[in-house]
Amino acid sequence: MINTNISLTNFRNHEHTDTVWGTHVNIITGPNGAGKTNLLDAIHYLCMGRSFTSSSDLYVVKQGHSGFLVKGSFTGNIRSHFEISCSYERGDGKNLRVNDSPLERHADLIGLVPVVLVSPDDKKLTGEGPAERRSFLDSMISQTSPAYLDDLIRYRKIVRQRNKLLTDLGHQPDRLEQMLEPWDLQLVETGSRIVAKRASVVRKFRDYMEQAHEQLTGSGMRPSMTYKSNCIDGPDLTGDNIADGDIRPAYSQELAASVKKDCERRLTVIGPHRDDLVFFLDDMELRKFGSQGQHRIYALALKMAQLYYYTDALEDLPVFLLDDVFGDLDARKTDTVMNMLLQHPGQSFITAAHPDKISGFTGIDDQRIFEYHIEDGVMQQLIRGDDGLST
Amino acid sequence: MQLISETLEQAVEQLARLPGMGRKSAQRIAMHLLKQDNEQVFRLSKAISDLKKNIQYCSTCFNITDKDPCPVCSSPKRNTGVVCVVEEPKDVYVIERTKEFTGRYHVLGGVISPLQDVGPNEIRINELVQRIRNGEGISELILALNPDAEGEATGYYINKLVGPLGVNVTRIAHGIPMGTELEFIDDATLTRAFAGRRTF
Repeated sequence: MINTNISLTNFRNHEHTDTVWGTHVNIITGPNGAGKTNLLDAIHYLCMGRSFTSSSDLYVVKQGHSGFLVKGSFTGNIRSHFEISCSYERGDGKNLRVNDSPLERHADLIGLVPVVLVSPDDKKLTGEGPAERRSFLDSMISQTSPAYLDDLIRYRKIVRQRNKLLTDLGHQPDRLEQMLEPWDLQLVETGSRIVAKRASVVRKFRDYMEQAHEQLTGSGMRPSMTYKSNCIDGPDLTGDNIADGDIRPAYSQELAASVKKDCERRLTVIGPHRDDLVFFLDDMELRKFGSQGQHRIYALALKMAQLYYYTDALEDLPVFLLDDVFGDLDARKTDTVMNMLLQHPGQSFITAAHPDKISGFTGIDDQRIFEYHIEDGVMQQLIRGDDGLST
Repeated sequence: MQLISETLEQAVEQLARLPGMGRKSAQRIAMHLLKQDNEQVFRLSKAISDLKKNIQYCSTCFNITDKDPCPVCSSPKRNTGVVCVVEEPKDVYVIERTKEFTGRYHVLGGVISPLQDVGPNEIRINELVQRIRNGEGISELILALNPDAEGEATGYYINKLVGPLGVNVTRIAHGIPMGTELEFIDDATLTRAFAGRRTF
């Protein structure tokens, strides 16, 4: 999928920005605070319907204005040309449109333009709690499977309903048991489908991870990962063709056994919303034994693996967003990433506060690379001429 | 914007409280009513006040009706053995439109949803059990509830409760709507329809 052009109105520090993108590698340079990340965030809005830097749409609105608008055109293999727009108005909320017709649900947008995002926040993936890793898995799978996203939305609702029952009826065990049953049956049914899907994606994902990690490090160290569910024992999830039906009995049992604990904590403690994805490097658990550098590379490799996984699994190539990725990388790895982007047939967007780190790839005569410079929310494309680059 | 007339302001405020109505639409309707002749506006206001005055709930099925029991419950042509359980009166109208269902109804008036503080006692589940016990001769309950988590939970709950009373509980199928082309079906419904496929 190619984002051919984008238009931002009152979006963070962009009062009005219109840009035509290159179809392959787009490099955006400019000083800190110029609005580079905001451009990637705008593309992210068109793919996922939300910001990757901000928890609320309200914070994205340019100061002194009441709303923002992002519009972009896309071309792809399945749909040759379409336009996505996302508008937000204080009080009215968010509106997502495809070719000017409004989408009924936010979920209908997900997967239309697959996207992979590399951002400084990725260090949380390997270093912080399981919620980050679940969210990575969920976002990755949702873009390839609308049914999975549907299950996820339904599952979260069931958990909220169940938790409310635990709070309301925790002191009446008999009544609680009777009232929980209709929710528990659905929890196990939907939850099992989620666990089965996650386990099967993780199994396929490992090969892509090995490829990406080796490309980045050339170290021969082997990354691997295990999906760890609290509903069913790990080894039962490693089979080649695990189905939700295989998970249901164990899940039901675990859920029934935890009712007392659930009552005490007024929370559902068993289920895929508490599962984890455990990362290993040469069979050592990364979170416990990994060095800072290993964490950083591992996180980047995860995102590159996601790109490769989508490239095989989806009809359309994903859009690849890399926000300030070179700040942390040494020269050799920076070159590796840049070469990898040039070799990959998909479209990518890279922000760089220090263009000297990628000086080998800027200002050169390569039709695959488009360069943009931005200062104070004003954007200029650098045009390649006989005397080098000019604006 | 404050309107120039207190009376007009009150009408706009009341209209704006209706579902799907914003203040702008309310103003447009109020202005439109002002232009109508007295007779027309009186007919509208009478229709609205009669709505509350004359319409009541059927004491058997809890559908809305002008007289109790409702025409469906009092019709000798309806099959008393089969009862279709729905959430709201509007669902009865949808099913009646098919002219295929010949049984009677039971309107729950909602579904179980702890987050909204709605439990089985807040909707008419006990009344349903009472109807089965009262010897109406009910042999089958058809659950026609929405396929969302709350509708499903309500279905499970009813099934569990009335199963021991010797009533056959069925549910309507869900999947691809008739007369719809596959390309217009949302992905999640289509995926479920594949999972629930049948031998031809």
